[in-house]
Amino acid sequence: MMLHGQAVPEIARMKAEPASAADRLFSRYRGHPAAFDEFFRWQTEPHDHCRLLVDKLGALDVAEFQQRRAGADLTFVNQGITFSVYSDRRGVEKIFPFDLIPRPVAASEWTKVEKGLLQRIQALNLFLHDVYHEQRILREGIIPAELVLKSKGFRPEMMNFEPPGRQYVHVCGTDLVRDGEGNLLVLEDNGRTPSGVSYVLENRVVMKKVFPALFEHCRVKRVEDYPQRLRNALASVAPNGASDPPFMVLLSPGPYNSAYFEHSFLARHMGIELTLGQDLFVHDDKVFLKTTHGPRRVDVIYRRLDDDFLDPEAFRPDSLLGVPGLMRAYRAGNVTLANAVGTGVADDKAVYPFVEDMIRFYLSEEPVLKNVPTYICDRDQDRAYVLDHLDELVVKSVNESGGYGMLMGPFASAKERSDFATAIKASPRNYIAQPLVMLSTCPTWTEDGLAPRHVDLRPYIVSGRSTWVLPGGLTRVALKAGSMVVNSSQGGGSKDTWVIEGWR
Amino acid sequence: MISRVAENCFWMSRYLERAEDTARVLDVNHALLLDLDVPLEQQWRPVLIISGIHDFAQEAAAEVVQNYMTWDEDNPCSIAASLAAARENARIIREVISAEMWERLNYYHLWIQGPVARELYQKNRSEFYGQVRRINPLVHGIAEGTMAHGEAWEFFQFGMYLERACQTARILDVKYHTLLPTSEDVGTPIDNAQWVAILMSCSGYEPYTKRQRNSIDPGSAVADFLILDRQFPRSVRHCLAECLRAARGIAAREPGENEGEVEAHLCSALEWLDNNDIRSLIRAGLHESLTSVVTRVHAIGDVVRRTYFEARVEARPPVERLQTATANGMAQSQKQS
Repeated sequence: MMLHGQAVPEIARMKAEPASAADRLFSRYRGHPAAFDEFFRWQTEPHDHCRLLVDKLGALDVAEFQQRRAGADLTFVNQGITFSVYSDRRGVEKIFPFDLIPRPVAASEWTKVEKGLLQRIQALNLFLHDVYHEQRILREGIIPAELVLKSKGFRPEMMNFEPPGRQYVHVCGTDLVRDGEGNLLVLEDNGRTPSGVSYVLENRVVMKKVFPALFEHCRVKRVEDYPQRLRNALASVAPNGASDPPFMVLLSPGPYNSAYFEHSFLARHMGIELTLGQDLFVHDDKVFLKTTHGPRRVDVIYRRLDDDFLDPEAFRPDSLLGVPGLMRAYRAGNVTLANAVGTGVADDKAVYPFVEDMIRFYLSEEPVLKNVPTYICDRDQDRAYVLDHLDELVVKSVNESGGYGMLMGPFASAKERSDFATAIKASPRNYIAQPLVMLSTCPTWTEDGLAPRHVDLRPYIVSGRSTWVLPGGLTRVALKAGSMVVNSSQGGGSKDTWVIEGWR
Repeated sequence: MISRVAENCFWMSRYLERAEDTARVLDVNHALLLDLDVPLEQQWRPVLIISGIHDFAQEAAAEVVQNYMTWDEDNPCSIAASLAAARENARIIREVISAEMWERLNYYHLWIQGPVARELYQKNRSEFYGQVRRINPLVHGIAEGTMAHGEAWEFFQFGMYLERACQTARILDVKYHTLLPTSEDVGTPIDNAQWVAILMSCSGYEPYTKRQRNSIDPGSAVADFLILDRQFPRSVRHCLAECLRAARGIAAREPGENEGEVEAHLCSALEWLDNNDIRSLIRAGLHESLTSVVTRVHAIGDVVRRTYFEARVEARPPVERLQTATANGMAQSQKQS
């Protein structure tokens, strides 16, 4: 029953005795008629960097693949790599569906993506510092001041406060999509408390168990350094007067949070304590951890709790998850919070359309990665266009995430469209619209064998005194045929992302 | 370590031990009944009573009670609920225990929630309870070889031995509930096979036979062994001595420093056992003596909670004037619990 006990035949051997052509993995794969495919240039011709991957994987027959797939699922269940679903009283845990076909990225393309992400995070950090200090970008009219100052993510408590190391977004998860022409575009920046990185690391562990021979042949960039990188980044921005090494904790909303597995995973791999709000208290503007041997001073908090819940004295008074007085300690410069408070203003969907302008404004550079073209419903001209073209556009509520509060125009009913039209007219600031991007597809295991399914990509960017980008990131895949919604809460799964440096 | 984490660790261990001991109680009762004519009402109700369940509404029939004590998710003493609670505590402190421990615990939780365990329960009850009894020693064995032997480990040990002290007292008590309903019956010669059965269910038969006790009747000798033996790992005295060892490890006091309340309670319980022999315990009423063990265990659990889990941060303040902060911290932790 256990995967560990079972011998995994080498792919090389499989190749020596090939299965009949009809039973091989890719033999019946047909790409999507309109989307860009991550494996194949056209129907059966792989991209250069995928050629050997298709060869090696293609040598597997379907039955063998099925067997390995069942083994991988079992590994996830046995290790309790799950997320909670809230509906049940005991909190049912589900595994995040994992697809064994990796999503390849050519190293040459990755170099460009990395450059674009570094540029983007630098601009976002400068923007946050500006917004909470001189507000030059608002005064010069690059971004409408009202849009920023009325954003739900804007925190007046952060005005004229200098976070340690001048760093705001210590961890950023930037969602990329590839359009029909093959261009990678930025869909959104998650600069508050992005999640999912534990799946990147666990997926890789499982892939190495299931396809050891593939890794012997394929040079895939390592992702395993992430926890240590994050630990070092956070230590580098510890406040003045911190102990050496700084005492760091992860602050989680608790075991009933859907991402608790990830919090526990990261604490374990970073070698820091996993704490809940109830474990911490503030005295004399300093943060302490309650231990069996008395209080212990805390220097850095990697918090996975939204701003709203962080400190009932400063934000939502009904929050039981936070630490009363935490903002006082933060503003007194006695503790580092990562991410900083108030970063939500930079990942507001209504601010997103201006990120390219931020790059030009702060860095005097052209953006390496482009945004998806976006209409801002708060602008009269844009709004008129959006209302006229609802059947072509994707409309997003700026305050929602996880695939909620969204209108997929081309697939929506007339009633849904007219409901959105009413809502847009009532509060234009709350909506943006984008043309439907035909997301790229990747071969994915389905009940009918391998079939194209739409994917996106979330790389993770870690910043302390310097910035590092995790090679690859989380590939999310919409498991339903034709669906472009990849969020796990909406039936999405994940894949291991391979930045392929070459073959040996 | 974090107070809350210490508490999760302590309880994970207690629940694991409880699952094992509940399986032992159900097993020993089953074995006892095979050879005895006991009125229906006295067959299975005692099993409920020793777990502190006095208000069981249904008839205490064999299948009903076994089902309730094995599977009922709403009964915190049932095997399935104990394993689920152990696993939930482990999940919360997944970053403190070793990966191997977590995988095993998770594996057994999934096993007991799945069809394989159900089928075994139906087909071969004694093998089922045997499997359940192996879970705790397996997890502890894995822990011993994979988990740092620091403070968390000491709480893990403390929890196991404290729960076990209580459960051994209870297992012995079943025998007296079932066979010797009144204290006058204590010490009367009865079928030796029954004592063998109870010893075997505590894995104590062979160690017991190595002790020579010609002077007293087998009933008293077994009680002596299970309460007072210094070496048998399930005896009350041995368990409490191990608790004291763990408590001293946790406190990690400087030489000459006064011992705390937890150590004091354990010392007093051990002194009480030192000042008695089995005759005086039986004279006082064995059921009463066993109840006293259970009461003392509860008191110790209470002191552990107050000392280590309820974050009395003023205990050793690193800075002056910490009392105000303490009050805030306490209020919040109470609201959350």
